[in-house]
Amino acid sequence: MRRLRPSPRPDWQAEVERLGFGFHTLDGATYWDESVAYSFSLKQIEEDIEAPTGEIEGLCFAFVERALKDEAILRRLAIPEAQWSLISDSWQRGDRNLYGRLDLAYDGAGPAKLLEYNADTPTALFEAAVVQWDWLEQAMARGLVSRGCDQFNSIHERLITAFGQLREPKPERMHFTCVDEAPEDRGTVDYLIDCASQAGIDARFTLIEEIGLLADGRFCDGASLPIEMLFKLYPWEWLFREQYASALAGSRCQFVEPPWKALVSSKGLLPYLWEMAPGHPNLLPAYFEGDPRCAELGGSHVRKPIYSREGANVTLIEGGAVRDSDDGPYGAEGFILQATAMLPNFDGNYPVLGSWLVASQACGLGIREDTTPITKNTSRFVPHLIEP
Amino acid sequence: MKRSTQIGLAAAGVVLVATYWSLSGGETEDSLIYSNLSECRAANQLSASQCEQRFSEASANHLRDAKKFSSVAACEQEFGSGGCQSAVWNGAQVVIPALAGIMLARQFMSGGGAAQPLLPPTGAACPPGTRQPGSGRPECEQPARSSSSSSSGGYYGGSSSRARAYTTTSGQPLVARNISSTGMASTPSVASRGGFGSTSRSFFSSSSS
Repeated sequence: MRRLRPSPRPDWQAEVERLGFGFHTLDGATYWDESVAYSFSLKQIEEDIEAPTGEIEGLCFAFVERALKDEAILRRLAIPEAQWSLISDSWQRGDRNLYGRLDLAYDGAGPAKLLEYNADTPTALFEAAVVQWDWLEQAMARGLVSRGCDQFNSIHERLITAFGQLREPKPERMHFTCVDEAPEDRGTVDYLIDCASQAGIDARFTLIEEIGLLADGRFCDGASLPIEMLFKLYPWEWLFREQYASALAGSRCQFVEPPWKALVSSKGLLPYLWEMAPGHPNLLPAYFEGDPRCAELGGSHVRKPIYSREGANVTLIEGGAVRDSDDGPYGAEGFILQATAMLPNFDGNYPVLGSWLVASQACGLGIREDTTPITKNTSRFVPHLIEP
Repeated sequence: MKRSTQIGLAAAGVVLVATYWSLSGGETEDSLIYSNLSECRAANQLSASQCEQRFSEASANHLRDAKKFSSVAACEQEFGSGGCQSAVWNGAQVVIPALAGIMLARQFMSGGGAAQPLLPPTGAACPPGTRQPGSGRPECEQPARSSSSSSSGGYYGGSSSRARAYTTTSGQPLVARNISSTGMASTPSVASRGGFGSTSRSFFSSSSS
């Protein structure tokens, strides 16, 4: 694993905009940064990223089975009791999932360590699936990187396949929703609409606030068309607590991600994974705050809210002192403490590897880089390649 | 190779026409089954030119694939009174079942989104006594042919029926339910709106990670 400094394409803005990538610059700061690229060997990708990703997904499935039989776990994860059967039914039915992203700390040598699992509402998808793919093609053609490079990235074709298999027969129409304000959310949803359309699905967007409830109990879009299948880039823990929460079970709607993803998308997953597979090379010791075993973590650890996004409310504690933290609105449902996996430091930059799963298959990598050890929503996205 | 072999983006110019229809649900309001061109246009799911294209495709396929009869009587024996039309096939005058509608249904074909012709219900599915109003089988009801000048070429002129019987080209009976001329008229009323999104508003932040 090396950090390369390739020359950016002189017309890189135009090149990424050609793909419809509208948020390459956020609040005046570069988000898509092709002056940096991480280089891996095929062995590193296959043995250290791809294989552990599949293994962790398997552990997560085992955890879902376990949690559904144990009310104490459901309470610990702060899942409202009224939604337990919705979750359980979605798992028993085998409701398929579309995608997820494991965030890994990896320095090219030791085993990759799971920082967290964005199982419910992952973003940075379009830049991983399309923008970095196109960058590599062009960078090789223009001689900016060696010819014959490859990339761990079959996300796009797997998404199209996965949309066609969300149920049998293939869904005819599907709605997609997210909030209004966030361009990166909308970018992710627009991209997924594109993929779904290519799978032959009539894909329609509706804002989350526009969703209505029909007299027969189904949800409908802004045009009052019933919603039979809904991709929601909106977290389950919020849906579970809003006004329509009581209408979820009777809505006859198939959700993507399915409700069972709520069990693996919170940081509360991490202590249970460690409990189920203690000493697993790809896991970090983790405990719920207040658990006496937290003492085993010593003075250096990370404190994370059970629910949080984009690094919000995460505190890095080193030698008993706060080294880095990010403010935010999360934490009401409790915290977990996790052993610190120091992100590798490449010239003052800290990469986090996002290992993508589509339909539970490890199939791609996207890297976010920051100048601090907590990856936040200001972190830059940088491409990667597999060296020839 | 560990990466995608090609990436197409519809938003960047690849035109795709999505088709959809579920036979299993039986309660789809805006099904993509259309009796005639005007119904297709009114449903507003396809553009007017797409409607025309689908009907002309289906019509050509229908002429090619439909069972050919030598007399109207023989055809009506199978497809009911008024359920047949004459046509010229390979230079010969033949009688074939009328084109009663089209169905956009992917699961019925291997080649993507082409429209499948639909035939009138067979005598087995809708016996003669069921084809008049008041028989208790509204899906079998026969519209009067040529009764309305607004009917544009389809076998059934009216579209007030909420369910309609057809036969697929493979001979399967099919009942399309809740069809309305607008495709939307039977949607239940909206009880409320805005029950999702409040957490996001209170956080003023992205809801993704």
